[in-house]
Amino acid sequence: MVLNLSFRTFPLALDVGSGRGYIAQHLNKETVEKLIQADIAENALKNAVESEIPTVRVVADEEFLPFKEDTFDLVVSSLSLHWVNDLPRAFKEIHRVLKPDGVFIGAMFGGDTLYELRCSLQLAELEREGGFSPHVSPFTAVSDLGHLLSRAGFNTLTVDTDEIQVNYPGLFEVMEDLQGMGESNCSWNRKPLLHRETMLAAAAIYQEMYGNSDGSVPATFQIYYMIGWKFHESQARPAQRGSATVSFGDLAKINGLISRGKK
Amino acid sequence: MSGRGVWLRARARLRRFPALLGGCGEQAAAYGRCVAAAAAGPAELRRDACLEEFRALRDCFARAVGPGARSGVGGCAFPRC
Repeated sequence: MVLNLSFRTFPLALDVGSGRGYIAQHLNKETVEKLIQADIAENALKNAVESEIPTVRVVADEEFLPFKEDTFDLVVSSLSLHWVNDLPRAFKEIHRVLKPDGVFIGAMFGGDTLYELRCSLQLAELEREGGFSPHVSPFTAVSDLGHLLSRAGFNTLTVDTDEIQVNYPGLFEVMEDLQGMGESNCSWNRKPLLHRETMLAAAAIYQEMYGNSDGSVPATFQIYYMIGWKFHESQARPAQRGSATVSFGDLAKINGLISRGKK
Repeated sequence: MSGRGVWLRARARLRRFPALLGGCGEQAAAYGRCVAAAAAGPAELRRDACLEEFRALRDCFARAVGPGARSGVGGCAFPRC
């Protein structure tokens, strides 16, 4: 996620779910003057990467941010919100700690992420064992995301989606990489065991159903980018109903309308 | 049966999977096709719908692992044993 915030300097920013501080590496002092990095994993914070901006690291739960309301000019979060239990609550917390006219810019994994892996495991478990349990974390649907942000109080929402496909030799390599990224499944109700036969079956299914022509398999990462603002009187508001001065029916005459407006 | 030794051995076994699977491409493809067809069909995919094909795959895999070695029934557990 590349932040292009060159139009504004944020005196105090918060990175929610900062991990080892990936975002801080890409910020400069003109954009953010001071950054608080919050994560529930103390080890991640301890091993955080250096940044040119002064940072303070805080062990914190996204659902219970230990900050007063109206504290931050900017809150960012990159690819960590899928681990949060109570996402509506986390969004409300983010909204709470933002100052009026502050902005939340976030990126999180979307519903299509790792669908190939999820489906392969599901089919393999059905065929081999007669039933299945979740092995891939639940991801939010994009329609839900807009609602969640609105209900948390954010205005002027922007939600965008992007898909990145990474090719791997096969299912085992996908799973090993996910483990390396610290992204092993976080569902509470998952069966802890994945039988080796089921994995063998899933690998074969993955290859056959999704394999690329060169023998590799794709793993999809769908990313939602979201921007939400905390209300301030200076922000543009939608116009009042009934205040229109032209009708949609006049769209065909738009050239005439424009030249009339110029006179 | 617990402890780090088992976990490391299981992971080491799992790491060999991709290479071993490589030699069983035909059987894997046949099994995959069977499951894909069964899943796309009118009825739900049921247990052992592709038993024949899976047996062929498993046997090929066991041959690749070698005689006397444990190749993969039951128990463990990627990633936790």
